[in-house]
Amino acid sequence: MKKFLLSALLSAPLWVLGQGFQVNLQGQKQIGMAGAGSALALDEASVFYNPGAVTFLEKNSVSAGVNPLLFKSAFKQTGSNVTEDVKNKIAPPFEFYAVWGPKSNKWKLGLGVYTPFGGLVDWGDNWSGKYALTSLNLKAIYFQPTLSIKITDRIGIGAGFVYNHGDVNLQRAIPVNFPDGRSGKATLDGTGTGYGWNAGLYIKTLSNISFALVHKSKVITKLDGGSAEFEVPKSLEGSFPAGNTFNAELPLPATTSLGIGIPLSKSTVLAFDASWVQWHIYQDLSFDYATNTPALVDTKSARNYRDGSSFKLGINHQASEKLALRAGIGYAFSPVQDGYVTPEAPDADRYILSAGLGYTPTRHFEVNASFFFEDVKSRKQKNIETGLDGTFKTLVYAPGISLTYKW
Amino acid sequence: MKRYILNSFVAAIILFAAACKPEIETPAGTTAGQANFSKYIAVGNSLTSGYADGGLYLEGQKVAYPNLIAAKMATVGGGAFTSPFFSEEHSNGSGYISLTALVNGTPTLTPVVDKLAIRDAAKHLDKYNGEIQNLGIPGMRVDLAFDPTFTFSAANPYFERLLPDAQVGKTNYFQFIQGRNHTFFSLWLGNNDVLGYALNGAVTVSTDPTTTLTDKVTFSSLYANFLNALTAGGQKGIVGTIPDVTAVPYFNTVTVAALLNAAKAINPAAAAIYIQTGTGSVRPATAEDLIRLPFQSEGIFGKPNGSGIPYGLHPLNPIENKWVLDKDEVIKVKDYVNSYNSSIKSLATSKGLAIADTYAYFNQVASTDGVNVQGITLKAAFISGGAFSLDGVHLTPRGNAVIANVFIDAINAKYGSTVPNIDITQYRGVKFPN
Repeated sequence: MKKFLLSALLSAPLWVLGQGFQVNLQGQKQIGMAGAGSALALDEASVFYNPGAVTFLEKNSVSAGVNPLLFKSAFKQTGSNVTEDVKNKIAPPFEFYAVWGPKSNKWKLGLGVYTPFGGLVDWGDNWSGKYALTSLNLKAIYFQPTLSIKITDRIGIGAGFVYNHGDVNLQRAIPVNFPDGRSGKATLDGTGTGYGWNAGLYIKTLSNISFALVHKSKVITKLDGGSAEFEVPKSLEGSFPAGNTFNAELPLPATTSLGIGIPLSKSTVLAFDASWVQWHIYQDLSFDYATNTPALVDTKSARNYRDGSSFKLGINHQASEKLALRAGIGYAFSPVQDGYVTPEAPDADRYILSAGLGYTPTRHFEVNASFFFEDVKSRKQKNIETGLDGTFKTLVYAPGISLTYKW
Repeated sequence: MKRYILNSFVAAIILFAAACKPEIETPAGTTAGQANFSKYIAVGNSLTSGYADGGLYLEGQKVAYPNLIAAKMATVGGGAFTSPFFSEEHSNGSGYISLTALVNGTPTLTPVVDKLAIRDAAKHLDKYNGEIQNLGIPGMRVDLAFDPTFTFSAANPYFERLLPDAQVGKTNYFQFIQGRNHTFFSLWLGNNDVLGYALNGAVTVSTDPTTTLTDKVTFSSLYANFLNALTAGGQKGIVGTIPDVTAVPYFNTVTVAALLNAAKAINPAAAAIYIQTGTGSVRPATAEDLIRLPFQSEGIFGKPNGSGIPYGLHPLNPIENKWVLDKDEVIKVKDYVNSYNSSIKSLATSKGLAIADTYAYFNQVASTDGVNVQGITLKAAFISGGAFSLDGVHLTPRGNAVIANVFIDAINAKYGSTVPNIDITQYRGVKFPN
């Protein structure tokens, strides 16, 4: 079996490619395993990772966790001797889950509230790419009520409805100058909503090797009537009218995952996940302003994302009755093509390294902690639209902790 | 197994501590290559001096492209770079124009008249004595640099201010730039040899040598003299080609179409704009005829003459030749620019010098799409384009930064140096009134 897995890994086509704005922090145990675990009925986070596995959870539970994320990006303009860093801002991806079902019944209900997409980058108001972007704060919060049903003792299916509440705040400098020489500034701020679904299949074979197939649908998030504020010299205020609003659409991609879980011993299990993130729907970022002027036309910036993918391998080892240890490695292929890398998502292929531990002091309580690290490869790019030309390098650090109550 | 997992957990934490900040490998700012930047001198005209908005003033001087280049050369062994700055008290130098209002896209340009560096009634400027490396003098031409009468050194106030009294009227620019022990030079000169003529509507005033066209062969031989003198000690350097002077906002803002639209707004029957060409003939203007920028503020368009005929709208009262660079004159001016540039390039190539092709770069800026750089779309449009200052000819600080990078890229390519590029977003375009 191990041999089979290895060859599957090596021969896997590179169709699974995927990051961009995706945040892969939805459950401390899975995070500790680099995000693998869709084929394991580990805990209530299966509401996200595989609704089909939820019904195989032994207990009812609620859990809440947070993963303060530090996105450390640096940029060096081509030919420059200055490296510019993003400001240290902590993004707070979080997750909340509840799973309940009558004991020894064939179904369970679940609820998940989590943040699968987001971005928090603040390059400061005066960096060399300020006319492309100064800061972006993007949050997508998914609410997912879920039903999971055992078809047989070894096969479960589950599905959930997804409601997304999205927040976006995008700021950049405008290349017009005040009498004191400083630049103008644009701030676009809005909230939006979108809908989708998440469905999964869980199969536990007779050899106890488990398989998962999960599809999370795309969620087209529409922002209507967001505020568009422009700080420009008074003589240009006619061109950038006050109280303007905008509409925009942010398509969040579908993800299809294939998972395998392999018990190595009674206390140790290996999990492998391959995910295909269908980013191709993100073709452009458009802003449609309520009031247009010759200087303020609707914009349509090409993004031309291709599909992304990731491969994750994790291990969970129950060291003692109370202590579990986890580790994981992964690799993700960027959906951002050459020429389209932007400071809002300075993306590139990345390595993932993670570790985690769980502690169960009593029958009812569980504490899990994780540490998630991503090394996004250095990428030298000239953006086709803005002409911003330079090298991006990013490291991501996310320690996390969650509390669970089980009964 | 347990130990392995524990170890990897520890390894992850160590990794965090060690590699918290992303690093980017840096080739820039490490070597001067085959060049020696320890004493750089900049030879040229108004563009080199930092002239902008119709005047020479301290803010412009500080962001003149040679000053921006010199600051970057400092990271690869470049020395100090001195310039004839105006004092803080007289920071507005010769005076300049500022944008004081913008109503429906029509600018109001107002002269700045305080803090001037004018020292006498004859409008001489504050003297600057002391060693300088930015040798740019507004109005300097290749032909007048060899002025055998030495009168230009007294007539040009920007030249006069740099000379001790004893030398005023007794030297010329070619002599002035020599003996400065430089190790590296830039030479961007020759624009005025054709621009002076074009700015005067292609009318040569016999008493004003700044309005003539320099003969092509003369240009070539005098330019060669410059290169011989500047490389006499084996120095390396860079030359700049001459931009297409007909592509600047000065000639592309007050268009024939805009004038016709303005006329039609008052009299819908207006059918054509009439101009007097360089040959004296009168004809309807076409899109290929260029009108000078100051025509807008002159306030003569459409004014009836003694016979009640509106100016510019009738063959009997055409726009005078001096306001117009007609299409034949445009062809002539472009031909001279091309000829000067082929001389500059072949002479520089034979000397093994770097060439900053500002001609090619400004043509790109003047194209419909402009140049996208660092999130800015740089165009040749007046005021909104960002590259050209309010006189429609000279550069904004942003334009200077961009052109400094063109020079730096050419220097690095030629000499294998890694002079860092300039972050152009730190430099402004036109200042808009608040």
